Order: sequence, then C-alpha cells, then structure tokens
Amino acid sequence: MGKIIAVHSYKGGTGKTIISINLAATLAKRGKKVCLLDLDFRAPSILTLLKAENVNYWLNDYLNGTCEIDRVLVDLSDKIKDNGKFFVGFANPATEAIRDMTAKDRKWEMRALGRLLALRNSLLNEKGFDYLIFDTSPGLQYSSINAIVSADMVIVATTFDRSDVDGTRRMLKELYELFEKKTEIVLNKVLNDIVLKGGKDEVQTKIKDVYQAPILGIIPCFCDVLKGEGHVIFAQEKPEHPFTRILESIANKVEGFA
Amino acid sequence: MAKQEFLGKKPLQILEKIRENLEKLNEKMEIIIELQKHDRRELQPLPEAPLDVMTLLSMPDHLRKTAMTVCRLGRATADEIAQQTRRARAVESAYLNQLVIMGYLKKERKGRKAYFYVDRESQGG
Repeated sequence: MGKIIAVHSYKGGTGKTIISINLAATLAKRGKKVCLLDLDFRAPSILTLLKAENVNYWLNDYLNGTCEIDRVLVDLSDKIKDNGKFFVGFANPATEAIRDMTAKDRKWEMRALGRLLALRNSLLNEKGFDYLIFDTSPGLQYSSINAIVSADMVIVATTFDRSDVDGTRRMLKELYELFEKKTEIVLNKVLNDIVLKGGKDEVQTKIKDVYQAPILGIIPCFCDVLKGEGHVIFAQEKPEHPFTRILESIANKVEGFA
Repeated sequence: MAKQEFLGKKPLQILEKIRENLEKLNEKMEIIIELQKHDRRELQPLPEAPLDVMTLLSMPDHLRKTAMTVCRLGRATADEIAQQTRRARAVESAYLNQLVIMGYLKKERKGRKAYFYVDRESQGG
C-alpha cells in the first residue's frame, strides 16, 4: 500500500517545491511509481520549473469535479532515467484560475477534501502508485490543510528565520498534532558556517530541542540550488551534488517509515 | 398460535432480535441525551453544516477523531469507526450521533446496520 506525503511550511520560500520535486524524483529513480501534485493554487510553480508543455487539464479541474484524475496526470518519466515512473499533476498558473481558487467557499472546500481523500483509492489502490507527494501553499490555507488531512505524513520545511521558527512551532502543536499526523522537519537553507561551527550533531540537537519533533534532514544553503539555472531535478542532473545526497538520505528515511 | 410460533424459533435468533432491539433503543437514548444537551426538542429539520477542515480544526479533540475517521473511511458503522479509533463502540456511537445532530454527518439505516457518512454532494453551492 502506497503512501501520501504532504510537504508544507509556515512561511513561503522555505524550499517546499524544490524538496517536493527532488524527493519525488529520487523515489522515482529507485524504481518507484511516484505522483507529484502541485496543490499550491495561489502560486503554482511546478509547471514552470519542470518546463511542461501542452497541459490541458489541471488539478483545479479535478477538484472542481469537472474531470477525473487520469486526465490531469502528465507522464514525465522520461525526465527520470532508470525504471521509475514519474507523473505530475499541475495547478493552473493562469491569473484567472488563481483568482477562482481563492474565492471558493466552505462547501467547495469540503468537496475538494473528499476528492483529495478519494486519491488514496484511485491512485494508490487502483493505479498502484507507491507515493503521492503533495506540494502545498504555505501557512493555514484551505488547500494546504486539505492536503495535510489527506496525507499519511507531513514534511515541514523550515528555516532558521525567527518568525518561521515561531510559526512552525505553533503549527506543530495546533495543526499537525490535532490531526494526529506523523510530522518530520526538514531544516533548509542552513548557513554553512552554522553547520561548520556547531557541527551537524549539535545543530540537530538544537533543532530537536526547538521543535520537539523528529528531524528528517538538514540542508545547507546551496547557491546553485537556489538559483536553479535550468537544473531543477538534481537527483537526475547532478547525482554527485551534496543536495542530491541529502535528498537520498531523506528518501531512505521516507521509505523506511511503516 | 403466535406464542407457539415464537417458541418454535431458535433461541439464538430470539437473542439476536433482542440485541437488535436493545441497540436501537440505545441509539434512541443517545439521541435524546444529545438533544437535551443542545436544548432541542426535535430532531427535524437538521441544519446542514459543511464538514470542512477549518470546522474539523475547531472541533473538540474527541469529536475530531471520530469525524476524521468518517472522512477517511467515507461511510462507516459505529463498529468500524471504533475499530479504527480503538475506542468503545458505544462511545463512538454517541459521538457519531452527536455529529449527526450538529449537522455534520448523515445517518442511513440499512437493515440492522446504521451507516454514517459526510454528505458532500447534496449540499448545493
């Protein structure tokens, strides 16, 4: 039985999308059947990052109930060598679509939750996907909480930014815990001198202390990751890069979770 | 004649019938208790309320657990919910009926079993 992972954060710019894409790609490279879904309807970005073209159906349509999930998913397995399967469902980046998604009412959100919950059956059970990875909007957005409720596990991307730390701590207690979700922290954009000065173990102990939650990974600040410059799927394009290695170890842990 | 017919049934069937009736009685009592708590005399008409994630978040912990399990299973009996939450069936039954009275869940009887579900489609909008 496959697993659903939601990647979330309190603030924007914590690296959710890059982590989502690369975790999905890393798992796919290991021969898994992976589906990455862009649920960041306020600022869709996976379409641009993966340079996908000719997308006719969006996750917006699926949640609106106007099409089934099969039509939305785009097979991008050719971007991943090896035997893995890599499918992506995109959020519509058109301004009109973003506006439409922000104006939904509670009843619509309730139905959207039902349709997200239904993916467990349609994609994991029937289509045999091993992993669904939800990339979400930051903060307490309807679409993000719907994703969290539908997931088996939440990966929270966070930085050492003071307001991010406080917000993340609040979400741990007042969001993920209330929904009884398994939650793991990824500390991103850690300044290299902090890692070098304190040593990795010390940083790890410190974060555990601050968040009182398990740490899935610590990612130093890599300028080339931030810039991207055409390299988005590091797992494929730069297998020797330290970022790729860290994602490998995160994927190991994710695979180990029962 | 009727008495003879009754005695002719297997004891097990009679016990089943008694259990069935007791369960129905139990459920009715739970509903009466819930109605009293909410200071209401009648069950009809129920105001339908969307069971969205913000509502789930603001619920007391014990009800959220039950409501989340119904969301996940889609449609379930109190027994099935109790298996997931590892709480007693009677407890879940009380919570489920409370959620029905609050307008978040729908209840449908099929033979001996009562099913609880979130009615996502009938609510317009």
